[in-house]
Amino acid sequence: MRWLSCLVITLLPLYAQAALSAAGFDAANRLYEEGKFAEAVSAYEKLAQSGQVSAAVYFNLGNAYFKSGQIGRAIAAYRAAQQITPRDPDLRANLQFARNQAPGPTLSPSRWQRWLARLTLNEWTLLAAGAVWLWLLLLAILQWRPALRPALRNYVFSLAVIAALLCACDGAALRETRFTRTAIVVIPEATVRYGWLPESRLAFTVHDGAELQVLDQKDEWIQVTAGPGRIGWLRRDQTLVLSGNDLPPTKGSS
Amino acid sequence: MRRSLSWVLFNPRSRSPAGLRLSLAFIILGLWSAPTFLLAASFTATLDRETVMVGETAVLTLKFEGGQPKSFPTLPTVPNLQIAGGGSSQNITIVNGEYSASISQNYALTPSQPGEFIIPVLKAEIGGQALQTPPLKLTVVKPSSTAADSAGDKLAFFKLFVPRKEVYVGEVLAVEFQVYVREGVANAENILQSFDQYGGCPVKAEGVSIFKTAHTQWRRSRVGNANYNVATLITSLSPIKTGPLSLGSMEVTLTVQMPLRNQPRRDPYDPFSFFQRTQVEERRVALSAEPETLTVLPLPKENVPAGFNGAVGTFTMTLSAGPTNVAAGDPVTVKIQLSGRGAFDSLTLPEQSAWHDFKTYPPATKVETTDALGLQGTKTFEQVVVPQSPDIKALPAVSFSFFDPDQKSYRTLTQPAVPLIVRPGGLAPAPTVATAARSASDNPPPAQDIVHIKPRLGAVVQIGPPLMERNWFLALQAVPVLAWLSAVTWRRRADQLANNPRLRRRRQVAQIIRQGLLELRQHAAANQSDDFFATLVRLMQEQLGERLDLPASAITEAVIEERLRPCGVPEATLASLRELFQTCNFARYAPIKTSQELAAIIPKFEAALREL
Repeated sequence: MRWLSCLVITLLPLYAQAALSAAGFDAANRLYEEGKFAEAVSAYEKLAQSGQVSAAVYFNLGNAYFKSGQIGRAIAAYRAAQQITPRDPDLRANLQFARNQAPGPTLSPSRWQRWLARLTLNEWTLLAAGAVWLWLLLLAILQWRPALRPALRNYVFSLAVIAALLCACDGAALRETRFTRTAIVVIPEATVRYGWLPESRLAFTVHDGAELQVLDQKDEWIQVTAGPGRIGWLRRDQTLVLSGNDLPPTKGSS
Repeated sequence: MRRSLSWVLFNPRSRSPAGLRLSLAFIILGLWSAPTFLLAASFTATLDRETVMVGETAVLTLKFEGGQPKSFPTLPTVPNLQIAGGGSSQNITIVNGEYSASISQNYALTPSQPGEFIIPVLKAEIGGQALQTPPLKLTVVKPSSTAADSAGDKLAFFKLFVPRKEVYVGEVLAVEFQVYVREGVANAENILQSFDQYGGCPVKAEGVSIFKTAHTQWRRSRVGNANYNVATLITSLSPIKTGPLSLGSMEVTLTVQMPLRNQPRRDPYDPFSFFQRTQVEERRVALSAEPETLTVLPLPKENVPAGFNGAVGTFTMTLSAGPTNVAAGDPVTVKIQLSGRGAFDSLTLPEQSAWHDFKTYPPATKVETTDALGLQGTKTFEQVVVPQSPDIKALPAVSFSFFDPDQKSYRTLTQPAVPLIVRPGGLAPAPTVATAARSASDNPPPAQDIVHIKPRLGAVVQIGPPLMERNWFLALQAVPVLAWLSAVTWRRRADQLANNPRLRRRRQVAQIIRQGLLELRQHAAANQSDDFFATLVRLMQEQLGERLDLPASAITEAVIEERLRPCGVPEATLASLRELFQTCNFARYAPIKTSQELAAIIPKFEAALREL
């Protein structure tokens, strides 16, 4: 009986938190339906800051940003949702739609990057770990029963190849998600310069929603690229810099 | 590769941890390099300039990617066009882990007459694939007689070169900014290099969209009575409003160094002028190109196709769709490729009103250009469409309309309908497309807005660091490794034991002794004298037999003198063993002993064993 009480005491706050999140989510959705997009943004952001998040929160936050004309922040929210549900067709459609609205130079993901993003980093990790586990256990079985070696030879070979392939994908996903920093422009028009001084020469102009790869940073400036031959420095406060699994900083915190 | 992999996995040498690490490294290396063999071959032909003046040189570059051509194509003879080989180059690039290799063959084309020259279709075979390039047009104009051209006495000057004086709004245009520096200028190379490194746009204009600026190779040109070295920057732009358009250039002040006519005499101690510099006179020259005025024409208002969405250029279209046998609600990917010349960044697919029976998603786009200015190439639209009903029999025809400035008319490209087999499926109506409630006429155009918000919160998750950065997960990965290492260790010990009979006997005897000592204590406690001494003799025979590599049955007291003494066993040990044997023999005839007496023999036996 005592353990039941402990369980109830432990789960009660979680249940209350979940109920509170659901109520906040419904309220934010109502604001969105009424066309109060700025208020809806605040409501969704409040939910996101509570730590109890779902893909739907970021998806709807992205929609609210998009409807209030902030394409860059919408893209950042969609990308956050993508970390939770990478294969949601609605999410992919909205992200693509938002990207298409961003004029000017931007760094669009390659086909390989799009393919890699079909699974989350954790999913790639579990797949790779599972394959390596199977392979090593099969090798252990062969040590235990050497007579099985001719029969299992092909399985060991295939598993080794699969495990190596998945490990390579996992490594690539890790590189993409953890070590590649992306800056998303969040102001209508930003000037990329050749140097990190306000008087440096203009290199090119980027617009709200442009996704740029961050190469370096110096004080309040970040060095970005929008593709081959398009490299320059941009003020950090004109962008949202996403790094790895970091969720996008909300408007209040940026 | 398969053979090498199976070798590293099953070769006994490679079963060591180092060997396994090596094998994994081989596998991963092989996998990383494998995509290089899977790259599709391509063959492109580009001109660095589309319009040149008589006597100037344009560079034709043939680029082969994804393999080596079986043979380089031979350029046909074109009247009034001199073609000279300009060498070849190989280029290998690795960008973001993507590997690509290409071979480029350059040709210098120098026209001797004005007009339009067509480089015909060129064919090449790469890796068994027959590839060909589209025909290219080189426009050659007469040399203009502006003030700059006639001023052959100028040390340096700029010039804007516009291929046409009349353009249509939205048409892309390549404008050349040419930097002329007269031969003999001491710092000519530095000046031209500084323009080569210039990353901005040298052309100034209002009412145009400026896309990219590219650099071409330096060339020599004769103006008046002087020879000049020329660096050229080409800027692609597109007018966005009609009427007169004035193009200007940037203004630059250059420091030009001219060698003095009266150079000092050569130093007899420095015959090669290592320490003697050419004396120059510096002149500062403020330069800007003479503005050029174009006329921007509006697009014709007559015969505008229904689906025209502002595309201007010259395009061709291909379409593929797959899979074509689907259940209702399953996605079909439609791939539409627009190739040719135009402003690809702003190129969009027109709304396909005939797709009202499909749920559509915004297309994913990709632009691949073949020239430095990004004006020629292919834009690929990958559009996912979802048939909503099993009554659908085909993906309707796709049309794309554009204005062709060369033909000065609108053109419409149409790809025929693609037959589809749509099976009934358990399709739930999508939340954003209410096809049943609307008629075909008022269906919304595809992908005009984002998908609506999610009504339910869904599964709440706590975002944390990825599994790869959690200690418990990393520690868990040691389990299969330890299991495998344990199996390897166990297998090695088993093999070692199987191949060494003495070791095997030693372990068996050690086991017998451990078991026998327990029995001795039990017999002593139970005061079973006969069993005690029988066990003691057996244990001594087993232990001595193992040590002397003799059968246990062959061990008697005589062995102590015959075998153990020559081996150098200490006298005290021999005496102890002898006493034990004699005690056993004596017990056969006088077996009655107390438990204490029997128990007192065990430590003596253990001491003798330790000393052996």
